[in-house]
Amino acid sequence: MSEFQALSEAVLKGDIKTAVAETQAAMDAGANIQDILDTGLIATMDEVGDRFSKGIIFVPQMLRSAKTMQECMKLITPLFQKGGVTSKGKVLIGTVKGDLHDIGKNLVLMMMEGAGFTITDLGVDVTPEKFAQKTQEIEPDIVAMSALLSTTMPSMPLTIEALQNAGVRDKVKIMIGGAPVTDKYAQEIKADAYASDAGSAVTKAKSLMGIS
Amino acid sequence: MNPIDIPTFQPRLKVLSREQVLAIHTAALEILEKTGFRMEHPDALKMLADAGCRVSDDNWVRMPGHLAEQALKSAPRQIALHDQKGNKTMPLVDGNPFYGTGSDTTFTHDLETGQRRRTVLQDIANFAKLVDGLENISFAMSMSNPEDVPIENIYVYAFAEIVKNTNKPIVFISDSGKDIAKIHQIACAVVGGEEEFRRKPFILNYSEAISPLRFPENVMEKLIFCAQKSIPICFPSGSNAGGGAPITLAGAMALGIAENLVGLTVHQMFGKGSPFLFGPNVSTLDMKSTVVSYGCPEWALTQAALADMRDELYGLPIWAYSGASDAKVMDAQAGAEAMFSIITSMLSRCNLIHDNGYLEYGGISSLEMVTMVNELVAMSRFFVQGIPVNEETLALEAIHRVGSVPGSMFLTDDHTFDNFTQAQFIPKLLDRSRYDTWEEEGAQDFYKRCNVEAKRILAEHQVEPKSDEILQAIDKIVQGG
Repeated sequence: MSEFQALSEAVLKGDIKTAVAETQAAMDAGANIQDILDTGLIATMDEVGDRFSKGIIFVPQMLRSAKTMQECMKLITPLFQKGGVTSKGKVLIGTVKGDLHDIGKNLVLMMMEGAGFTITDLGVDVTPEKFAQKTQEIEPDIVAMSALLSTTMPSMPLTIEALQNAGVRDKVKIMIGGAPVTDKYAQEIKADAYASDAGSAVTKAKSLMGIS
Repeated sequence: MNPIDIPTFQPRLKVLSREQVLAIHTAALEILEKTGFRMEHPDALKMLADAGCRVSDDNWVRMPGHLAEQALKSAPRQIALHDQKGNKTMPLVDGNPFYGTGSDTTFTHDLETGQRRRTVLQDIANFAKLVDGLENISFAMSMSNPEDVPIENIYVYAFAEIVKNTNKPIVFISDSGKDIAKIHQIACAVVGGEEEFRRKPFILNYSEAISPLRFPENVMEKLIFCAQKSIPICFPSGSNAGGGAPITLAGAMALGIAENLVGLTVHQMFGKGSPFLFGPNVSTLDMKSTVVSYGCPEWALTQAALADMRDELYGLPIWAYSGASDAKVMDAQAGAEAMFSIITSMLSRCNLIHDNGYLEYGGISSLEMVTMVNELVAMSRFFVQGIPVNEETLALEAIHRVGSVPGSMFLTDDHTFDNFTQAQFIPKLLDRSRYDTWEEEGAQDFYKRCNVEAKRILAEHQVEPKSDEILQAIDKIVQGG
């Protein structure tokens, strides 16, 4: 940890400039890229998540830390493509067909990225067919769907059906969330997990992947 | 010659100066002219383009301010909502406040068990009936999204259920141009035809654009339908500070007002002179939980500010909220937060004030909360009536009688007998009994008393029934394809 103390502190503070400079410095000094990611960035984001859940920091501070991490990632990601990146898991995310509300989905997306997941964002109003087609294409570990309106919730089971028809349902874990969505509903439509907010989405995603 | 009466000052809250009002309005117009908005309804887009808006790729529209100013002029200053018997019970104009329930909660607190559970159609009936029996609750909304009706027609079922259980005005939700047409049909059936409905509307539609600056096609379908059919509508967006809008309240208001002005402009293009209830919902996104708060002081403040903007500038009646809480049960927090928004919405003279009876930031509907709000509205109304100062209320003669005659007292004086029902607020549910009495009567807290009262009303209150002919017509419309 001490190796990346200054980087870690900059990410905690959300000081993008310093964090990027520290990442560059670590790379220049020949540090292992996976160590920079795991120890410098993801471990720090775990600490950020922990501080947030304890109420020590607020959402904008957490998101700034996540953004800081993203900026650092831009430097190291190109190097990974040669060596092979180790991600906590691939997540495909979007709001379901008919639903255009994406603030909640975007929060989940940022928190998951911060926790080390690789995200593919399909945006809003995503048809079941689109979810299925993209799932076949990129083979994610988790498919995450959100709905704000009661009237768009039926798109969730339809999407699961589309995944089934495409023969990929059993290859992914399905997470759902959004204001009218409940744990009971998740069970009814046979989703694998329900998360009530962005923080618990990360926890649920980790447990679906079998990581703590 | 008699002395001139002293007018009674009625306490009034103001939170914006004229300069602040104008600055926020100017900012709203600047958002429309410079930033623009996404309009996803083809007919609305064409109308805006024909009227002189610049439309670029991706349905992005930049609108000159004068179009909004024009729409503000043609929309009516008063929206006269009637009850279902044709009485003008809700003249939404100037500073008249009216309180009612909310919509779309996923859960309710069961009146018998106290447990939080999913809502069903019967809950909508109960809320409507309770509203019908409470003197200070002026209009009904569904309060619930029932899990036991087909979801593609959820709002039609909800509306029919409200109509069957109250004769008060109704604020309703719909999904698109399709179900709103059915709801309009039901409303016309209730009052005896479309012409009668136009003359005495008893419903008002609640539709939302999406902040920031997005106007989906299904939402615009509803707005245009209302404009053409003269159904009163409000069109707030979710411009909550920090979520759909900037974190600072002035910016969040400017954005919410800009979005409202887009709605109003299109609305007046499709139905010049049709009634439009003005106002965004400007609450805050909580920076810990990311819920949109219903108990925060910010929302009370922004709607008070909007009332000032109505008085200084817009002249249109406004949409507001109160009597709601972020608490999970009807506890002290719920009482405190509910009263905060009730008294401030009345002191600032908001007009149509919804969401009374919400817990869990709009997640739970509570019959006990609605019953409590009824009492708190009465208390607030007493307060804003002020202190009439005249010969009778100064009571110099009574003071002289009691003061100058040994052994006499005010309690036995005629002046007390003649005046006490107007001079005092007489609570129904707020407890002022002596300790021993309170204990003997079961040591009930306020929540429990509201629970008992809600049960009593549901058991005893008789809603004036609609004719079999109307009920059959409603069922036919609900069942029809």
